[in-house]
Amino acid sequence: MTVLPLPVVHRPYGGLPKPATIHMSGGRDVWSSPLESAPQDPVAAVWEALNEVLDPEIPISLTELGLIYGVDVRDGVAEVRLTFTATACPCMEFIREDITDRLESEFWISRVELVEVWDPPWTSDRITPEGRAKLRGLGVSA
Amino acid sequence: MSDVLDLETLDGPGRAALERLILTLADSKRLMGIRYSDWLLGAPSIETGISASSMAQDEWGHARLLYSMLKDLDRDPEAYEHDRASEAYASVSVLDDEMPDWAAVVAAMTLADGALSTVLSSFAEGTFETARSRVPKMLAEEEFHSSLGAAWYRRLAQAEGEARKLLTAATRSMLPALLAWVGADDEAARLMVRAGVIAPAAERLLAYRHAVRDLTALVDVDVDAVEPDPAWDPARGRAPGRPSEESVERARGDRNRALFVE
Repeated sequence: MTVLPLPVVHRPYGGLPKPATIHMSGGRDVWSSPLESAPQDPVAAVWEALNEVLDPEIPISLTELGLIYGVDVRDGVAEVRLTFTATACPCMEFIREDITDRLESEFWISRVELVEVWDPPWTSDRITPEGRAKLRGLGVSA
Repeated sequence: MSDVLDLETLDGPGRAALERLILTLADSKRLMGIRYSDWLLGAPSIETGISASSMAQDEWGHARLLYSMLKDLDRDPEAYEHDRASEAYASVSVLDDEMPDWAAVVAAMTLADGALSTVLSSFAEGTFETARSRVPKMLAEEEFHSSLGAAWYRRLAQAEGEARKLLTAATRSMLPALLAWVGADDEAARLMVRAGVIAPAAERLLAYRHAVRDLTALVDVDVDAVEPDPAWDPARGRAPGRPSEESVERARGDRNRALFVE
């Protein structure tokens, strides 16, 4: 491989401050307060928390959009299997941060692992009936 | 195909062949996106320009997913995306330079993007598990490109005068190189066929000709009578030559090198 003399800067955010919008997306203003005690069913509690994380572009949740493919919790580590509506979804970074921030606000979750999957491919068929109803209410057909 | 390729069983040439295959697809997607982006504000209508914008976005999403497959070979995708000179690019040669007119864009939308989809379909049905899980989403997105491209191709083919002439010329110009690319049958390609990663060259060519036959017939080009271009660079899996420097500067993101955030 021919390597160019120009250096590539591999730093988080290229050495810039985090994106200014980082604390504004995902429906943060409607998120519940973190639990005060550890849940009996951590997986169900993670699903419930994710149900509060909204898509950055339309105000329905990631779970209602059908973007969450699976959840597991082991030793305080929450693994979230997720996909995106498109391979070049411009909101990927927001969604990753919103999920992580919502879950890591819980004291019983020490770390979030996001596993991005593309199989099966997301289609609008994955939107839940509740999600469809909300979209219709917003004047969006799905 | 149900078998899954165990990458540990690939020897040096096998790993190099898989790397080359991934790069021919990823680099072509990068260049395809650039060719669409060239027409965001120059397409025949604002609506078509918006479509070009969406397709450019898709192509770069596909490129990103394809480059990330290099991690399976213990390669750093960022180095491939941002550090290579144009002579290292493996993109299909018909995308090397800016399209001269809208008819050429339409030919690329159908014939070149279609060639990529043909090889991607084969890749998705092969033994490389990462491709099997990621490529179907790309192909689903490509259906929209195919629909738009076919509609425009029919429209120009049925037009009087210059539009049809330009489309015919672009079709005749692109097909030999695309047939050579789809039907690559050198040692590296055969290694991938033997590993079950892609279908044999003859099957790929059959699928591609089937996909474009009805369209090219509209401009009186019989794709079955077109011979693949014999010029070939086996090191890169493409015809000799390279993308324009300006294109590769955009592909690498040279103007943003200090600000890379991915």
